[in-house]
Amino acid sequence: MFEPVILLQILWTGIATSAPFVLLTVGFSLTLKVTGLWNFAQSGQMAIAFYAMFFALHGLGLPLVAALALGGVLTCGAAWLIEVYGLQVFRDRGSDNLMFFIFTLILSEFIIYVITLIFGTEPETLYESILSPVDIVGGIAISDWDKTGVALAAFALAALYGFMRYTKEGQFLAAVSDNAKLAELYGISAQRAYRVTAVISGLFIVAAMYLIGSHGGVVPNSPLELVLSAVIGTLLGGIGRVFAAAWASIFLALIQSFSILFIGSRWQNLLLYGFLFATILLFPRGVRLSWGRR
Amino acid sequence: MDYLVTIAVLIAIYTILASSYNLVIGYGGLSTVAHPIFFAIGAYTTGLLAVHVPFIPPVGNVVLGMAAAVVASVLLAGSALRVSGDYLLIASLGFQLGLLQLLKNLEFTGGPGGLSAIPSTIVGPMRGPLFLAICGAAALACVFAVRTIVNGPYGRAISAMRDEELAFTALGRNAMSMKIAIFAIGCGMAGGAGGLYAYYFQYLSPDQFDVLASAAILTMVVLGGMGTAFGPVVGAILLLAIPQAITFLQLPPAIMAPTQGIIFTVLVLLFLYLRPSGILGGKA
Repeated sequence: MFEPVILLQILWTGIATSAPFVLLTVGFSLTLKVTGLWNFAQSGQMAIAFYAMFFALHGLGLPLVAALALGGVLTCGAAWLIEVYGLQVFRDRGSDNLMFFIFTLILSEFIIYVITLIFGTEPETLYESILSPVDIVGGIAISDWDKTGVALAAFALAALYGFMRYTKEGQFLAAVSDNAKLAELYGISAQRAYRVTAVISGLFIVAAMYLIGSHGGVVPNSPLELVLSAVIGTLLGGIGRVFAAAWASIFLALIQSFSILFIGSRWQNLLLYGFLFATILLFPRGVRLSWGRR
Repeated sequence: MDYLVTIAVLIAIYTILASSYNLVIGYGGLSTVAHPIFFAIGAYTTGLLAVHVPFIPPVGNVVLGMAAAVVASVLLAGSALRVSGDYLLIASLGFQLGLLQLLKNLEFTGGPGGLSAIPSTIVGPMRGPLFLAICGAAALACVFAVRTIVNGPYGRAISAMRDEELAFTALGRNAMSMKIAIFAIGCGMAGGAGGLYAYYFQYLSPDQFDVLASAAILTMVVLGGMGTAFGPVVGAILLLAIPQAITFLQLPPAIMAPTQGIIFTVLVLLFLYLRPSGILGGKA
């Protein structure tokens, strides 16, 4: 049970499985960093992303690229509309965070009910089969889905890092997240930053839902659970620390993967919620690793 | 007729939930979303006692359900009330979902299939009306109890603690113990509502108490008017009754359930845009 090859297999599977959660967490964490909001409407956007791709592939018979494009347009469009006609309205009114919480949660529910009405409650997948070809490397099974997931997550993170670090638009996001009012004094539009963030998060959501939908069944309610895993990763990484949240997601996936050595799989979610509760009480600012200074 | 009575019983039970939640969040300013889990604790405790310990009278079971909810709320409050605002909201969510996972995985609670065969305490044709009378009386008692608490000197202390906690503490008052007391009272009422629910419906499923239930109760409070005594009553009536209107269209269940959900959420969204302070609330 504790043979090296088994442990390595669990390690690899944990890393690969974390890919879609990393993408969702980064999208959620970036939104929280820039807008200061726990945007639960992202679960509605997750549902839009998956079912748009599902409809494009199965209903319209479009190729994958077109399905991804349709998912991207609809999800980013929804994110933009929610930002402009929803969140900004409440911001202008000076609404408290509870109001944002209710609005985003109820809006997600609305989207999910509409999708349930259209597509039903049966689990759906993007492909007819969720099995993907497997290569054995050094005794470890590595599937094509694993490779796609890890590559996509790595590419998305690198792209986001480059965008934040080397483009003016990205630096504007950082400025708005630090102090929106001060940023506006310097001529940076906070509203524009919020909208750009909404679109970037939408792209991360589409990538994540492609991975999730090509690896297992999705029902309209699934995104409500997915957004909670993003919340936990965000908290564990620390609010405002987008890339640390990505690492936290990988850590959580590894904990869940290795937990099968000790507990039944049905208790894995309990482990996740236990982490959420403990993180807030013990590390409300996230877990910070310090290497000391020379 | 039975259907209408069932809706009325649900409205009464949700009035208790919304009023007690209003005490916690509206008057106490404690942003938790875990209220449905205390409803669940009361319901499951009452249901399990009714099934396995038949010699305890139904009133005793409901009281024990309330007590279990109070104990759980004090345990949560003792640790989670150290944080506030968004953190408390998310911590309470974690507590709620964690306990729901327990309910779903423990065998003696019936697991994901739920707890069934809870014995009925009242049988015969008057079962519905009698339950409605009991639940209605309990709802009225709860609403007026909350009103009495918040209108008295203790209520003024609660308001002071909510609005200016630092000044409140500087005056030598213990904000933490007050928060725990408010939380325990509110959650105890929710536990009592759970007991009534268990006896009336005789079946409990963990999925009834998830995050969507949190959103529903929170919405009732906000739409009715947070921090008003009768707002949650209006919210409960409005949000439970209006979606039922389409029941008479006799649509297939696959269409009925999501359509009711759409009506519910559209109503909430409309109110959030048009009257964010709630129906009975003052200026936003």
